[in-house]
Amino acid sequence: MGSISAIGSSVTENRMALMEGKCGIGPLELFSTRYADLLPFGEVKISNAILQQRLHAEEPGITRTTLLALHALEEAITDAQLTSATLHGFDTALIGASTVGGMCLTDELYSDANKHENGSAYLSSYDCASVNLYLQKRFGINGIVNTINTACSSSANAIIYGARLIKNGLAERAIVGGVDSLAKFTINGFNALHILSDDKCAPFDEQRKGLNLGEGAAFLVLEKEEAVKDKKYYAELTGYCNTNDAFHASSLSVEGEGPYLSMKGALDMAGIATGEINFINAHGTGTENNDLSESRAMIRLFQHVPPFASTKSNTGHTLGAAGAIEAVYSILNLIHQEVYAGLHFAQPITGTGLQPVQTFAKMPLKHVMSNSFGFGGNCASLVFSR
Amino acid sequence: MFYIHQASCVSPQQTFTGIDIDHLHEAVNNKLQVIEPSYEGIPTGILRRMGKAIRIGVGAAMPLIKGMKTNPDGIIIGTANGGMEDCIRFLNQIIDYDEGLLTPTNFVQSTTNAIAAQIGLLSTNKAYNTTHVHRGLAFENALLDAGMQLKEQANASFLAGGVDEISAYNFNIDYLDGWYKKESIAAASLYASHTPASIAGEGAAMFLVNNSMENAMARLVALQTIHTASGNIVTEQLQLFLQKQLGAGENIDILLTGENGDSRMLPYYLAVEGVLDKAVAVARFKHMTGEYPTCAAAALWLMCKIIKDQKMPGHMIKYASAPTAFNRILLYNNYKGVQHSFMLVVKA
Repeated sequence: MGSISAIGSSVTENRMALMEGKCGIGPLELFSTRYADLLPFGEVKISNAILQQRLHAEEPGITRTTLLALHALEEAITDAQLTSATLHGFDTALIGASTVGGMCLTDELYSDANKHENGSAYLSSYDCASVNLYLQKRFGINGIVNTINTACSSSANAIIYGARLIKNGLAERAIVGGVDSLAKFTINGFNALHILSDDKCAPFDEQRKGLNLGEGAAFLVLEKEEAVKDKKYYAELTGYCNTNDAFHASSLSVEGEGPYLSMKGALDMAGIATGEINFINAHGTGTENNDLSESRAMIRLFQHVPPFASTKSNTGHTLGAAGAIEAVYSILNLIHQEVYAGLHFAQPITGTGLQPVQTFAKMPLKHVMSNSFGFGGNCASLVFSR
Repeated sequence: MFYIHQASCVSPQQTFTGIDIDHLHEAVNNKLQVIEPSYEGIPTGILRRMGKAIRIGVGAAMPLIKGMKTNPDGIIIGTANGGMEDCIRFLNQIIDYDEGLLTPTNFVQSTTNAIAAQIGLLSTNKAYNTTHVHRGLAFENALLDAGMQLKEQANASFLAGGVDEISAYNFNIDYLDGWYKKESIAAASLYASHTPASIAGEGAAMFLVNNSMENAMARLVALQTIHTASGNIVTEQLQLFLQKQLGAGENIDILLTGENGDSRMLPYYLAVEGVLDKAVAVARFKHMTGEYPTCAAAALWLMCKIIKDQKMPGHMIKYASAPTAFNRILLYNNYKGVQHSFMLVVKA
């Protein structure tokens, strides 16, 4: 696994921060926007110049989104000890996700889209695929390569797609994950929807005011059970499900139908009862709509809602990276048999009586569920097991 | 992989209303823009808020869905740029108003998953819904996804499709990047050109697919995607693909290629032609669709139609030899010379 976010630039650093209840959301230092002084963000405090230097990635046209992805991918490849030969095999797939792509360069995009000569170096870097095409070329990956964009559930769907490639014999291993970097495009888009909070987000709190945008990336290496043998592995992906809420383009149904169906579907696939889920890494963005719908769905599905929390209170909402970053966090729960505190919570949402976990604790965990729900009603749930 | 039962296409040609592909509609200012249908059955209030990509995607999909007794078990869309026109509109607002208070409609409609989402919303389909955005292989991944779904669920059916629109984004930006011709050119003269670059196109093609042979239009036998800039790798992989997918005595009737008038891409297409027997008829489609990342979807619609009608318009034929049979078609396409795909489609 590999991961970079506002709370750390490696899986270990992320875990330390989660254990300490560290919050990576605050004022912007590197990114420039009119909202810099007005809103808090989960910014990765490493500049593009430093990322480029460390990663030996100084090609013209490389975007921050690609740099963050490259950083996480390198960590995952090293951690999984994948050789060049393995990476070049026709049976190694690379499935990534992003919602922003190179549109983090809003000003350059505006300029290139409106002029008739002298384009910038970024002409082929704006779409979501540009990230994975760069990674494919750099690492010489010859298996199936794909990019998924289903808004906030993008990298959860990338994980699912990679798993299914293996299941259907189209790949022996799949490197799966996602990335997003801060962009004026998403900042202004979410702001226009009035769902950005000017405080640090408070998932599942009655007084929650909205989400904080974050950035980051994570990749995981998936292999099939038979291939694992005496190699070290962290967890098993035992269940997954993708459904659609089919209610509204940018908000979830009040009863959380899509979330309910995706959670139930993942459980059914894992072949486990609701009582066997030990912890849920909730989508928990801190918006009025998501947290209420997700709560209702959890209450409807589980007789007793298991311990749950949202790590978006540490990292902010990392959009296309969220599914993958939170999958890594769910796997950390399992490896270390621990749960991390959900931050900024004070009071349960009226009518739900639900409280997230609020202190770090060691706990026996066998199955952990991770949820990702996005625009367009795109819902995905994953179950990881020991 | 699976059987194709219904197919629908909104394109720059008459592929939707008054279907007639013998008649060739020409490019205007080097752009082949779609002929939009009347969108019957879609409320005007909803249509008004949709950008073109969503409109044509929904327009191509809804008639197929409405014709079914039950909703498909999933909606799988491939689009490289989604609702880019809306994206640019929102972008212009950001710059023009210096990040002041903006209207969210353009933002929400511009996200690439908005097409699949809108189809799901209009048909109240809560099942599997996903969007593949891998540029020149976005549609091929959507088909692979559908293929895997159908392997996992024997009795299911899926809507799979590919959509992309011409917008300020991919016209200006791809134009600046040297992908669209600077000189004015007619689609009918596209292949005679000796200059780099092609002409812009757009379209939406949707397919209802399942595992049942009965009443199927065609069968997608196999699909392969390759990332390479090497023509040798493409031809090597094609030879392996054909060895694996063709049975004894089975021959390709038609090779349909994505030749696009771009002199830099021609070597790939000639190399692929060279792999096949000289007797195989060669046909082309981009003078009808224009060049865009998911045009293979429109090509698949054409293949289904050719197999169903057992004939092909003369303007698609490359060399003098017209096809003698229309039952086994191999599609080879590439996007910007680095993303390649083969599709083998046969009579069901």
